[in-house]
Amino acid sequence: MLGLDADQLRADMNRLLAFLFHQGILDEQFLQLQQLQDENSPNFVSEVVNIYFHESEKLLRNLRSLLTMDRELLSFDKIGIHLNQFIGSSSSIGAQRVRNICVAFRAASDNNNRTGCLRSLEVLEHEHCILKNKLHELFQIEQQILLAAAVRYPVLN
Amino acid sequence: MVATQRVMQSNVSTSAATTSCYGGLSSCKGEDVMIADQFPAGLRVLVVDDDITCLRILEQMLRRCLYIVTTCSQAKVALSLLRERKGCFDVILSDVYMPDMDGYKLLEHVGLEMDLPVIMMSADGRTSAVMKGIRHGACDYLIKPVREEELKNIWQHVVRKKWNGNKELEHSESLSDADRHRQGNDDAEYASSVNDATDASLKHLKKRSNTKEEDDGEIDNDDPSTSKKPRVVWSVELHQQFVSAVNQLGIDKAVPKRILELMNVPGLTRENVASHLQKFRLYLKRISGVTQQGGISNPLCGPVEPKVKICSLGRFNVQSLAASGQIPPHSLAAFHAELLGQPTGNLATAMDQPALLQASLQGPKSIQVDHGVTFVHPLLKCKYSSFKHLPQSFAPVEDASSGFRGWPSNNICTAGPGNIGGLSSQNGNMLIDLLLQNQQLQKSQQQPTVPELCPSINVQPSCHVAPSQSSASFQVGNSPISVTQNGSFSRTSGIGYNLLSSQSNCSSSSIGQVSDVNLQSTGDICGYILPAAVSPSVSSCSVNAENCASQQVQTSSMTFKTPRNFPGFVHSTSNIQDSYGSTKTGDFLDQAPFSNLGYINKGTCLPSRYPVDGFQSPLSSSSLGKVFSENFGTRVKREPNMEFGDNAKVGIPMLQQFPPNDLMSVFTE
Repeated sequence: MLGLDADQLRADMNRLLAFLFHQGILDEQFLQLQQLQDENSPNFVSEVVNIYFHESEKLLRNLRSLLTMDRELLSFDKIGIHLNQFIGSSSSIGAQRVRNICVAFRAASDNNNRTGCLRSLEVLEHEHCILKNKLHELFQIEQQILLAAAVRYPVLN
Repeated sequence: MVATQRVMQSNVSTSAATTSCYGGLSSCKGEDVMIADQFPAGLRVLVVDDDITCLRILEQMLRRCLYIVTTCSQAKVALSLLRERKGCFDVILSDVYMPDMDGYKLLEHVGLEMDLPVIMMSADGRTSAVMKGIRHGACDYLIKPVREEELKNIWQHVVRKKWNGNKELEHSESLSDADRHRQGNDDAEYASSVNDATDASLKHLKKRSNTKEEDDGEIDNDDPSTSKKPRVVWSVELHQQFVSAVNQLGIDKAVPKRILELMNVPGLTRENVASHLQKFRLYLKRISGVTQQGGISNPLCGPVEPKVKICSLGRFNVQSLAASGQIPPHSLAAFHAELLGQPTGNLATAMDQPALLQASLQGPKSIQVDHGVTFVHPLLKCKYSSFKHLPQSFAPVEDASSGFRGWPSNNICTAGPGNIGGLSSQNGNMLIDLLLQNQQLQKSQQQPTVPELCPSINVQPSCHVAPSQSSASFQVGNSPISVTQNGSFSRTSGIGYNLLSSQSNCSSSSIGQVSDVNLQSTGDICGYILPAAVSPSVSSCSVNAENCASQQVQTSSMTFKTPRNFPGFVHSTSNIQDSYGSTKTGDFLDQAPFSNLGYINKGTCLPSRYPVDGFQSPLSSSSLGKVFSENFGTRVKREPNMEFGDNAKVGIPMLQQFPPNDLMSVFTE
């Protein structure tokens, strides 16, 4: 950490962001989120992302339990409702890939395709994990930047 | 005003500060900034979404737009919040899929109970879903992810709604300014004179009802179902079908289900019919209210009294009817249309009221009532037959028929036989009788004298209703009717007359030429009673004054309706209505506005916090809006300021208590 000054960290962050955009993991909606952050709400992006992961993990758990139910009890409607929320929140934070998988998932659910749903759920969980890791990385770099900036101006007694 | 603005400003600043918004921005606007300048800042938005992520994002975006945001993650909590703090929100953003309550249900509740624009949101952008939202009455449908630019524009729905409500008010006010020819309604439905007349009367009615409602602070007027909830446009034809169905079944036995079957209109739901039936029944009750339901009429009379100065109505509480504008707008409109058409169609047949006839003759012609005329015609024709049944079903009016016939003879007007002035003792019957009589008249005689007789139906002055003479015929009142302009038609033989008299007292802007108030308030009612065709341009003959007046009133109400309709268009829903502010331009003539007519305050009592001056463009394409935009500007100014202040005061304390985060936690728990 000592060796990383703020500029280098910022370059790293930009590189990561570029990578995420390029891969389609994030889209421009994420940029909107970043624009919403200002001096009045300095942690807006991380706050929202935290909420998102908190909620989406709940959703994923519910989806899994719904799909692993007995065939007779399986309710595609409920799955559809969960997915709707998932799609809404994912698209709101700019998680493009996750959103796309959810859409495919919803299509499978509309067709009452249990196998398709299970497969989609797998992919969804995987993508969700990737997103989480990447965003976590992003926030870490951000924090380091802040720290590095602070180090530059130590408090003098 | 300034104080209010300052309050608002500080409110915005405070809320901005608490919401980490840009308080600085709003305070930079200057102390004396008009509220208009701040608009749409300070718009009070309620966001309902079970998805916390979206909720938080929306909250932030809305705060960036300088709106005052309240968030809620549960629909039920949101609904109770809305009920508690009525008037504390300007617009609602709601998700479609929510666990505890369907977003559409919430939408319906809001539409029913409070006249607030509701914007739906969903990740589901399929056309069917969007269509469903529109059909349920959403004034807009946003697809997630919602962008800030989209949110910046939601104020237009608020303004549109307010304007539609105000437009009608403005109409009447502007009319009373004797600016008759302002109409220029692009709607071009009705002749300007008719419009004026109608506007005048409508305005009066509206004003009264508005005032009344505002005073009461109750939005659930006579008929909660008259709120925008049923988004069906009760066009003249549709209403005609409805009435014929009712007639077939018999008014007492008419149940929505059977009516629906008989009507056989695709897309019409039982609920639509049920609410319409309720309105219809109320209307009938009212017009027959004097004899039968004193209770009903009295309250109506109450508020009306001071304003209308109607003399004793005798049996009919026409004045109350007129004043309160309680008559279901659409029914009024329909009847009005009918009546209107009738004269035109049957004018030649010489209604007994020459004036009426003349008015009707002239009305349609002179006024742009083309539309009115056209669709009145079919209506009339059918209605006659249907109405034939009605009188029987309604109670009392027995003498009415005879009375009616008698009346004309007594009239100075040589017009002719029956005054269909629709003065049946029972209001409801009046209408029917009127129609019947007209029909009979047509058949029995042709008295083209009418036109000559009543050169102009200036209701007001001329309303020396002959009826006075034929007191016998008029069940209503036996006292001579003083046709003075101001009228006092104390005993209006029929509703129409009552209306007229009330109108005359009101001396509201002349309807077209009919100057009077009579027309104004009675406009709506008259629609029912007399075949409108009242062209303001027709100055009423003295004799026919009443008839004419009523006719005129009708016309005016017709016209009024038109204008109203247009505003209504603006906020009528897309296909079938309901829209809060969706700008459906003038396609829906008879829809929502009519509902506004009768229950005027449904939409208009929303405190207009935001001056509309600056926002003339948002007005729907209805020319009406454009025409009156200036008026709106001037008129509305007062309201917003005052109300704004009130609202601000109301809003501020509440809002300030809850810093945004707390709000969220409170509601998201």
